[in-house]
Amino acid sequence: MAKPRPVTGIDPGRRLRPNARRIMAVRIDEVHSYDGLVADPARVTELHDMRIACKRLRYLLEIFAIAFDEDLEPFIAEVRGLQDLLGDIHDCDVQVPMLEDHLAWLDEREAAGARAVVAAAAPARPRRGRAPERAFREFRGRLDAARRADERIGVHALIARRRAEREALYARFLDEWRRLKRGRFRARLERALGIR
Amino acid sequence: MARAWDVPGLTGRARFRDAAGRVIITRWREMMSYRDGTLLGEDIEELHAMRVSSRRLRAAMDAFEGAFPRGSFRRYLRQVKEITDTLGDARDLDVAIDRLTRLVPEMAPDERPGIEGLIDRYRDERAAEAPVIADLFARLDAADFGARLERYVERHTGVSARRLAPRPPEG
Repeated sequence: MAKPRPVTGIDPGRRLRPNARRIMAVRIDEVHSYDGLVADPARVTELHDMRIACKRLRYLLEIFAIAFDEDLEPFIAEVRGLQDLLGDIHDCDVQVPMLEDHLAWLDEREAAGARAVVAAAAPARPRRGRAPERAFREFRGRLDAARRADERIGVHALIARRRAEREALYARFLDEWRRLKRGRFRARLERALGIR
Repeated sequence: MARAWDVPGLTGRARFRDAAGRVIITRWREMMSYRDGTLLGEDIEELHAMRVSSRRLRAAMDAFEGAFPRGSFRRYLRQVKEITDTLGDARDLDVAIDRLTRLVPEMAPDERPGIEGLIDRYRDERAAEAPVIADLFARLDAADFGARLERYVERHTGVSARRLAPRPPEG
């Protein structure tokens, strides 16, 4: 996660507004520093960092709104919308590897279960009076019970869902980001805060 | 979502230092108001509300960092970050369990065992989070963290938690 850029020139003895302007000018710039980078859907880290930058900016707008004459709620709503989209993309980016790990975990569980069945079914010599076919069927039944292959179907389906969702969410994010830029979001926000 | 508490006496013409003290103390008290319910663990909304409040507190501390000496403030910030992260781990599992549970009826019959198996695994992991949360608050109590934070904030902003006495919103 990208650390927030330091803000210089804060004077705690001055009023809220001039200090808030200094802080928010840096945080607005941080959000826009990802422009261009996030045009590539594979930039998972940058998309996540942009989400964090949006979150920081949104909270600041909420905290410092009291110090400004202009209603900042429309700006907060726009940043929140962007943050939510980036958050949903991040959830997919985190969940797919987690689900893949879960598949590996199921494999390990199955292997351990199968090893236990094989170990239990390996007598030094065949038991008297049991047909080999019946013994094999019993062994097979225990082995199947130890397998967890049926769980993989659902996990694979979930991975496919998350990947499709991610693609759709990214397209929505890109549309939203382009809309904000076309609407001169940054300039409007900076004007509302008296930064420019 | 739990409503944020109003910050007593905060106006747009406040000094940055004074606003820092008022907002941080209010958010700290707001977060801790959910502590008992979170530890009880009977209603997942208590933990959710505490987590949301902890994020508000964290954001307030980030916003007003400039009102405090950097080195000492970072120690308090790190502790609050640990609270947010610990609550976040449990909350993420609550959300995942809820989402997956709602997803099961939408899935094909042969896909359901996989989702149900995943829910079981997340439930086990979630159960393991409860003692982690209890341990965190036991450590905070042992270190008298809340009182130390409030004294620290008062020393650097002049805002006394006792005089500020923030209260939850009515209704």
